Order: sequence, then structure tokens, then C-alpha cells
Amino acid sequence: MNGSPLDRRRFLNTAVLGTATAVVGATALGSVAPEAAFAANRPDGVGGGDLSAPDPNFAEGRITGITGSMLMVAGSDRTLHRIRLTAATSVWKLRPTTLDQAKVGDGLYARGVRMGDGTLAADAVWLNIVNLVVHISSIGRDVIHFDHHGDRVVGHVIAGTTAAVYNDTPAVNDLSLLKVGGHAQVIGAWRPDTNEVDIATVYAAA
Amino acid sequence: MAPSEIDAPTYTETTWFCCGTAWGPCGGTGRGACGTCNSGSLQCAWPNTSDNCFAITRPDRCGDTAIRRTCGHTFYITSRCNSNRVTVRIADCGPQTDLWCGERTCCSNGLCATNRLMDLTPAAFSRIGSLSAGKLPVRVSSEGF
Repeated sequence: MNGSPLDRRRFLNTAVLGTATAVVGATALGSVAPEAAFAANRPDGVGGGDLSAPDPNFAEGRITGITGSMLMVAGSDRTLHRIRLTAATSVWKLRPTTLDQAKVGDGLYARGVRMGDGTLAADAVWLNIVNLVVHISSIGRDVIHFDHHGDRVVGHVIAGTTAAVYNDTPAVNDLSLLKVGGHAQVIGAWRPDTNEVDIATVYAAA
Repeated sequence: MAPSEIDAPTYTETTWFCCGTAWGPCGGTGRGACGTCNSGSLQCAWPNTSDNCFAITRPDRCGDTAIRRTCGHTFYITSRCNSNRVTVRIADCGPQTDLWCGERTCCSNGLCATNRLMDLTPAAFSRIGSLSAGKLPVRVSSEGF
């Protein structure tokens, strides 16, 4: 199915369901987990192009409007993106979720295929995702304070979601092995316009 | 064998980092050691782009040589989890390998990699895996896939 960019663009053309008259987004049909979205081998798609230039099949920025299954996004470099979600788009916001969790003001990264009309038909959208290498400043019952390059970041522990990975062990809910003064990598969801994140996974040495 | 003579494909962990203009906690990260880094471009950080870079990242403390490769060098990255591929160019110094000596990441297929020698931009990482995974085991080559 994904043998070439052209094949994939044709597939997405048929998969795109959002139109002005009939909008059926990922919310209605369910989204797939991000890992599933990457299960298939896909072309590297870099046939000698300028690797310093922005990847046309990727977008980042903040949501300025939502119309049906279309996200209007202002890129941090002031590029304007229209990102179309399909039934096959995976959506992540702290955990795998659905389009209805997207809010104006959310930051995002999106990967898909740039269509002929300039929209990005998204395979995957990550809302507010951050990946921070930090030092642990203090640990409370439901909150962990981090030092991120000299800036304070407040990490919220979300019951039933937040997990820890110590060395190469499987993810566990037990955060008791985290150490003040130790370093960690935090995958989480930023709370827009704050210095706070909800923690999805924290990687640390035991 | 001297480190400069080693140029075989390497199996390593990779994670992702943001650079350039950005939102949220990434907002102040700048354009990286090479001055060209951009989250939306197919780029990477490498822990031995210069003496000053190596002095910070210290892959040797984890037993890795990580030969000198400078800004603009091309790497060919293949995920060990799904064989997805991406070509990237060095745009920054990193990751800080010695923070994670001995760390190992495995795929559900049982293939693994140890130590962090590669950091990809979100655009590059998302070509081979989900950003929510945080890190992946990959094959890194300078000679092609």
C-alpha cells in the first residue's frame, strides 16, 4: 500500500473523509495507536533533497482553529498549515486519543503526506508532546519539579497514566525509584502557556 | 584501532529533541551548535562534532568511540523495530551520552540497542517511529542504508 509517495498520496486521497458537507473524522471512527501507525515500512523519501529545508510531509506549530477534521495551525516559523485528519490518523495527547481532544492553542507535531491542495493529510498527530532531558529538583505526592536547562518545569503525575522506565525494564507505575538530583527523560503533554507538563513516561536510571 | 579508523554501521539508541523556532518548553532552544537546526527538518545531533562537543557528551565513558563527524555530515538511520529509514544531516551536538551509559532500548521483535549516540529532530524521528515512544533502537551508517 505504501510502496511510493505517489501510492500513499492516492491512498490518502481516498481516505480523507472531511469535506464541507460531510465531516467524519478520527473521532467518529476511532484512532489507531501511534505505534500501529508506524508498523508499516514506508519510503525514506529523501532522494537527495535539501535536508536543511523543512520536510514538506511534517508540520509543527499551534492550533489556531478547528473546522471539522481540519486543523488550522500557525507554525513557529509563521508558516500556516492546514492539517487534515482521516479515519486512519493516530492522535496522541498524553495518551492515544481522538480528534475531539484537540483544542485551539495546543501545540502539535504532525506527520503525513502533503496533498496537491497544500493540506497535510496526517498519519499521526501529537498534541502538546514534549521530550525533556531534565534533572529532578524535588518529588511530591502528585508532582515532580524538574530543572530543564535552568528553567523550572512542574511535572504532574497522572494516576493511571504516568509510568516510569528504569534502565531497560518494562514501564511501571511505581515512581519511588526516582531520585532528587538525578537526571531523567520526560515524555509528557505540555499545558499550553504554562511551565507545567502532564507526565506520560519518565525514563531514569534505577 | 584508533577511533578515527572506525566507520562501520553502529547500533545505538536514538531519541528526539527540538530546535529552532518552537512552542512550549522548546521555545528557547535555539538553532543548535551548527546554527542550522530546525525541528521540521531532517536533521540530527551527534556527540562528536568537535572537541568541545565531545568534552560535554563523553561517549567514551560508555565505551563508545563515536568518530568525529562535523556539521552537515549525512547519516542513514534505520529503525530496528520496523526497518523504516530516514536520511539526516548533523545540525547539533548531542545527546549527552554519558548520562545514559548502559541504557538499553528494545523493540517488540527482540532487537535492541545500547547507549545514546543519536538524537533526531521531530521531523526525522517521526519518519521511523512515534514521538510518544521517546526512544528507539536504530542502525546508523555513513555509507547508505
